[in-house]
Amino acid sequence: MSLWNKLSRQRRMNSDSPAKLIHFLIGKSVVEALLITAVSVGFYFLTTNPYLRGWLDRADHQTVSGWAADEAKMATRVEVQLYIDDKFVDDRPAAEFRPDVHEAKRADDDWHGFVFKTPPLRAGEHEARVYAVHASRGGARRTLQLIGKPRRFRIEGTAVQGDLP
Amino acid sequence: MSSSEFTKKQTNQRSVTVIGDPALAAWEIVSVVSSILIAEWILSAVAELSKLIVAVPVALAFAFMFFSHRVRKETLRDLGFRFDNFVRAILLLLLPMLAVSILLVILRRWSGERMDFLRWHTGTPLIVRLVLGWGWGLAQQYVLQGFLNRRATNVLGRGWPSILLTAAIFAGLHLPNAWLVAVTFMGGLIWAAVYQRAPNLFALAVSHSLMTWVVVSTVPASALHHLRIGFSYFG
Repeated sequence: MSLWNKLSRQRRMNSDSPAKLIHFLIGKSVVEALLITAVSVGFYFLTTNPYLRGWLDRADHQTVSGWAADEAKMATRVEVQLYIDDKFVDDRPAAEFRPDVHEAKRADDDWHGFVFKTPPLRAGEHEARVYAVHASRGGARRTLQLIGKPRRFRIEGTAVQGDLP
Repeated sequence: MSSSEFTKKQTNQRSVTVIGDPALAAWEIVSVVSSILIAEWILSAVAELSKLIVAVPVALAFAFMFFSHRVRKETLRDLGFRFDNFVRAILLLLLPMLAVSILLVILRRWSGERMDFLRWHTGTPLIVRLVLGWGWGLAQQYVLQGFLNRRATNVLGRGWPSILLTAAIFAGLHLPNAWLVAVTFMGGLIWAAVYQRAPNLFALAVSHSLMTWVVVSTVPASALHHLRIGFSYFG
């Protein structure tokens, strides 16, 4: 081995070298962790509406009703979708008369309620879920946010007609 | 202190062992691979925020690799940016490249489908695609061999364990595209083995570009899924 090679090998690792590399590795990990955190938070705000408020008040054999409002845009009506037993039933704006929501200062006016007519269902236990629709990317993506909690209800009787859910 | 110790740090006149060289090299591998995975799987999923965001971990990985070379006193020649062993590397690559190409052509003929050697980006002249492929291959081979293979040898020594590790990493970065995983593992084995015998990135980039052309021309387009990897595979 030439003298030059010996010298260059000895030069290769001085006592500061690993510390420098370790500092860089830690710094890089921190930057990446912060980046992922920022992107995750940004993506959350892009795909969901943190200002959405609402509640599913009632679900029975006749109607499924509640209210929904966007606290950041009180003048707009939130689009809501009803699912029963995980099957889509109907879609409409939450624009029904609900003065109690206004009185409770959850909305600027009386028109943030929704009422769906319950479709014909087989007798037995069912579960209703209502989601608010949030559009992003100029409407290219639509995400659903659950309003309140799912409500279980029971249909009495045994009559089953047609292809019911 | 021996060069491989790479470990002692003077703190208040007390010598403390920080980390061994193999462990540090393994950490370097994990760090660079995780940056690429972050770009492939996390940031490309949310690239609508800004396409530039994908470049951030990639830029960090390159900055780290350059810094690591500098700290470890690795020259461009050490890494494989050289011409003196170009012919030797090409000769080493020739036989396995021919074998893989013949195998892919036989498989294609056996499946009864027609080969199309002009399928690789039909709108661009083939020679331009090959030159661009060479540039892209050079970048990939630098990361794969110039950095990952070299650090793998720091961890496992020269030979099959480090060659297998390098190929497995290369293949893993092409998930979930099963065909690409298979061909990149095969290619990774060949390129890593050749690099350990004749480190020349220019020759490997030639091989990379030519083999990409062969794969694109012989493997069914539906199987290659437009060469998409990471989260983009599902897009």
